[in-house]
Amino acid sequence: MSDFAIELRGVGKKYPWFTLDNIHLELPHGQIMGLIGPNGAGKSTTIRILLGLVQQDHGEVRVLGRRMPEEQVAAKWDIGFASEDMRLYEGMTLEWHMNFIRSIYPGWDATYAQLLLKRFGLRAEQKIKGLSHGQRVKATLLLVLARRPRLLVLDEPTTGLDPVARHEILRELTAVMNDDGRSVLFSSHNTQDVEQISDQIAFIDRGRIIDCMDKEAYLDRWRRLRLEVPAGTTLPDLPGIIQFRQNGRLAVATANAFAPGMANAYESQGARVQSIDTMTLEEIFIANVEHSREEVGA
Amino acid sequence: MNGSVVRTLILKDWQLHRRLILISLAAGGVALGVIQLKSETAFLVGAIWYFVSLFVLGSMLPVSNVINERKKQTAVFLMSLPVSATQYALAKMVSTVGMFLIPWAAMAVAGSTLVLSRHDIPNGIIPLTIILFGFPLVGFCMIAGTALIGESEGWTVAASIACNSSYGLLQYFLIRDPAINRDLNSPVPVWSARVLTVLAGEAAAAGLILAITFYLQSRKREFV
Repeated sequence: MSDFAIELRGVGKKYPWFTLDNIHLELPHGQIMGLIGPNGAGKSTTIRILLGLVQQDHGEVRVLGRRMPEEQVAAKWDIGFASEDMRLYEGMTLEWHMNFIRSIYPGWDATYAQLLLKRFGLRAEQKIKGLSHGQRVKATLLLVLARRPRLLVLDEPTTGLDPVARHEILRELTAVMNDDGRSVLFSSHNTQDVEQISDQIAFIDRGRIIDCMDKEAYLDRWRRLRLEVPAGTTLPDLPGIIQFRQNGRLAVATANAFAPGMANAYESQGARVQSIDTMTLEEIFIANVEHSREEVGA
Repeated sequence: MNGSVVRTLILKDWQLHRRLILISLAAGGVALGVIQLKSETAFLVGAIWYFVSLFVLGSMLPVSNVINERKKQTAVFLMSLPVSATQYALAKMVSTVGMFLIPWAAMAVAGSTLVLSRHDIPNGIIPLTIILFGFPLVGFCMIAGTALIGESEGWTVAASIACNSSYGLLQYFLIRDPAINRDLNSPVPVWSARVLTVLAGEAAAAGLILAITFYLQSRKREFV
């Protein structure tokens, strides 16, 4: 059996208006990966390819050891997928949907479904059209989670939710991961959500994966150095510094491969290091996307 | 073949559309009641109403069962289930065609029985009646095929308008065809070569449209 729940190797898909370019992505079993990217970056296309809903032009896709899209039926028995643009039947009740899913999945966990109803504050007899956006997302998630899938794929699950609903959903996702056998891939442009629950992070922009690695190691690599630069001082281009912005005597250097020696290197040239700051995932995301676009444009 | 999931999808469509089917059957029943009033005007109005209820069902079902699933984004929910695009297309075709065939067959049998039971209507009209019942069937296949392949409300409405507006014209040419017209007042149904050719043409057209639809649908590489 493969070590990975998801493997994408050299995957590409060309549209007249957008190209997904040579995507490599690996999600080990039992891990949560946050796929972060701005709107239109290719998150949803990547997810649709790995579910077999869109066929890649080239490259290999394996999900839970199954080749996609050829073996999508076998794979989807063990995949729970919910997306921001997925809708339930408005005229039917949540109970009808629960019965519908239960009639398909023999592993439907009715006890867990009742527990989720309670936790999410949902009523089974309520029609979908009477639910708020947050309740609809929770209802969709309930239908996915109570199947007890081995892999959860969530495309923008928290988009448009209020902070309380977001917290409830993220808490439930974290609880799901108590079962070591489960893996989660979730896409978002909300870096706070990803930072909160992910083990792995992948950045995607303009159809390319620009970074993918373990979250802790990743956060640890990035630093922002605030410098005071005396007039007439020229600072060297250090490897690992991806952005250098100077305004008068003050400068900010952004490092994507920080090493303590960087501060010494600047100080040896006459600069004074005011502070070395860790960066939030959002700051890293923006810096990374800007750097990637500059590189592509260069 | 993933039979149980396909069957569940078909049953789901039936459950969601049973009201529409019942309404069309009820409309047909009322039209039959009007036909029974035994006046020429009532017969004409009832017969038009009877066929119109089939035309309306044939136009509404593909929009409701196929296009709305795309438009309202419930298709993504269904495709997250363990089915392939081909299996989903098969389920959609079987459910859509089946939901139309049952009221269509019921109304075709009821209409023909009515003609046979009425002594003031010559039985020679039976072959024409059956040919006329073939129009909404072929038209429905065309509209459903367009909906499944085109996945567009605009194209489906265009197909619906084209089919519904051609029924009257086809009817006009059929009645004026001497090979069919000459037997309309016969006391017994006459299954002439022309009648059988038209019936075979209708059956072939319906079958061909469905076969092409399934073929094109199964070759799609993009689902959502």
